[in-house]
Amino acid sequence: MEEILNINSISKRYGKVKALNNVSLQINRGEIYGILGPNGSGKTTTLGVILGVLNADSGSYCWNGKTPSKNDRKNIGSLLETPNFYPYLTARQNLSIACEVKEVVQSEVDRVLNVVDLINRADSKFKTFSLGMKQRLAIASALLGNPETLVLDEPTNGLDPQGIAEIRTIILDLAKNGKTIIMASHILDEVEKTCTHVAVLKLGNLLTYGPIQSVLNNQEQVLVVSENLDLLKLTLAQIDGVSNIKQIKDKVSLILAKGKDISYLNSALFDKGIAVSEIGVQDSDLEANFLELIK
Amino acid sequence: MLDLLRIEYKKLTPYPTFWIIFGLFFLFTPFVFYGAGQIKFDAFPIDFATIYNFPNVWNIITYIASWFNLLIGMLLVIIVCNEFSFKTFRQQVINGHSKADFIISKILLIISFSLLSTLYLFFIGAFFGYISGSEASILTNTKYLLIYFIQSLGYMSVALILAIIIRSSAMSIILFVCSIFVESIIRLFVPEVLASYFPMKIISNLTPFPSPGGVQVSSINAVITDSISLNISIIVAIVYIILFWGFSYIILTKKDIN
Ligand SMILES: Nc1ncnc2c1ncn2[C@@H]1O[C@H](COP(=O)(O)OP(=O)(O)O)[C@@H](O)[C@H]1O
Ligand SMILES: [Mg+2]
Repeated sequence: MEEILNINSISKRYGKVKALNNVSLQINRGEIYGILGPNGSGKTTTLGVILGVLNADSGSYCWNGKTPSKNDRKNIGSLLETPNFYPYLTARQNLSIACEVKEVVQSEVDRVLNVVDLINRADSKFKTFSLGMKQRLAIASALLGNPETLVLDEPTNGLDPQGIAEIRTIILDLAKNGKTIIMASHILDEVEKTCTHVAVLKLGNLLTYGPIQSVLNNQEQVLVVSENLDLLKLTLAQIDGVSNIKQIKDKVSLILAKGKDISYLNSALFDKGIAVSEIGVQDSDLEANFLELIK
Repeated sequence: MLDLLRIEYKKLTPYPTFWIIFGLFFLFTPFVFYGAGQIKFDAFPIDFATIYNFPNVWNIITYIASWFNLLIGMLLVIIVCNEFSFKTFRQQVINGHSKADFIISKILLIISFSLLSTLYLFFIGAFFGYISGSEASILTNTKYLLIYFIQSLGYMSVALILAIIIRSSAMSIILFVCSIFVESIIRLFVPEVLASYFPMKIISNLTPFPSPGGVQVSSINAVITDSISLNISIIVAIVYIILFWGFSYIILTKKDIN
């Protein structure tokens, strides 16, 4: 596995707010890495540091194993927080400037405008664009030069459902072509549908990270029903690998540790003399897990 | 390097404010210069029209233009602050420019603005000089143009550092325009030897007020700007300009780009 980005215990505070607390992360080629967290959790700060616009208080990062330089950034397509363009210039003029900075051929302008479906508004001024169009232009700008690595901060921000679907398709297409994509989002659904890996941030702390399935779905939620729910709860508490016992209406929900399955639970209960009238795995609920993680 | 300047003009040529401010400068300077030569005082037997003649023309036109230089300084403040408020500076760093590229771009812009306005003054001055049929050489006292060029660099370098520290156009413009006054107030509280070396004082004194009638200025070295000679003023101004550029860069690297 080829390492694209290495973030090494980065911390950053704004006055009293600790925006990032000792965050370390490694991203390899071909991964679609979601940085997931609620608003204010430090996603943009993380991306700002690795894109050279924010100075970290401590820690370091490197792209492709080298000390950071402006040339790394020329080969990364980035969108940070908001679409940033000259309002009095047209879409085409704005992208043309971005091409100059990135040292990319000017013919890229029309190509990327086509990709985001803005070609018919190419000569309209940026200030006349709707929020969604501005966001598309920002994505277009990130695509200039067809970079191997993309850093996208809330890429579907401000888009309508159709726009969201289109951008998702673009991202998945890029992923298919082996690009490495780092994508910040506060929307679980978005990360779940596009990413291969995820890092969960909360209040500047990296809670967990890894392949998406193992992070968001590593525990199975099981629902059990029996005649005496109080006795059931007491008994469950004694069984190895059972946690988070909660009563939900007439059922008891619990989390089963990795490697334990329903038949294990069923026989453990049977051994302790509990007759189970109903037992089943709850449909994997990533959202519940995410909410649990960031609680 | 010239690539950076080309990118700057790509941003600017479609920008209306750029044309308006340079338009005002290009219009007002010859207009006011022409008007100054038309003044007539019965009690004061000086022929003001001699300001059109070589070599007087250079002293007078650079003095007049130095006031409109503040306009170009304001334009620079606006251009730099726009890069912060549009977050385009941030985007260009993300896209692969360094903070040094940003400062170098703006310095190149400052130099090009100064060259442009100095060149313009040369043509306007030459035009008036020939039209008025003066016999002196066009080249006499053209040193004033060089001094004007340095002054222009100076004003815009002050504008640059203010814009980089403050980042908001409105506040920076106010401070830029007021800097002459603010500085003269501060100067009241420091010893005079020091006071005459303050940056705005040094820079604004580069284009001295022409002596009465503009005609008596014979030798440039005779011009005394307060207690400091012009040559010293030039050297100090250049030192200031370089310091402002350096500090602009240092400030930029220390702060986040929001
Ligand atoms: N320029 C700033 N000044 C002060 N606080 C900031 C600044 N930028 C971000 N913060 C704070 O840092 C924290 C993380 O912000 P951010 O990285 O933007 O979060 P996210 O992108 O995950 O929503 C928040 O508490 C935010 O208020
Ligand atoms: Mg954010």
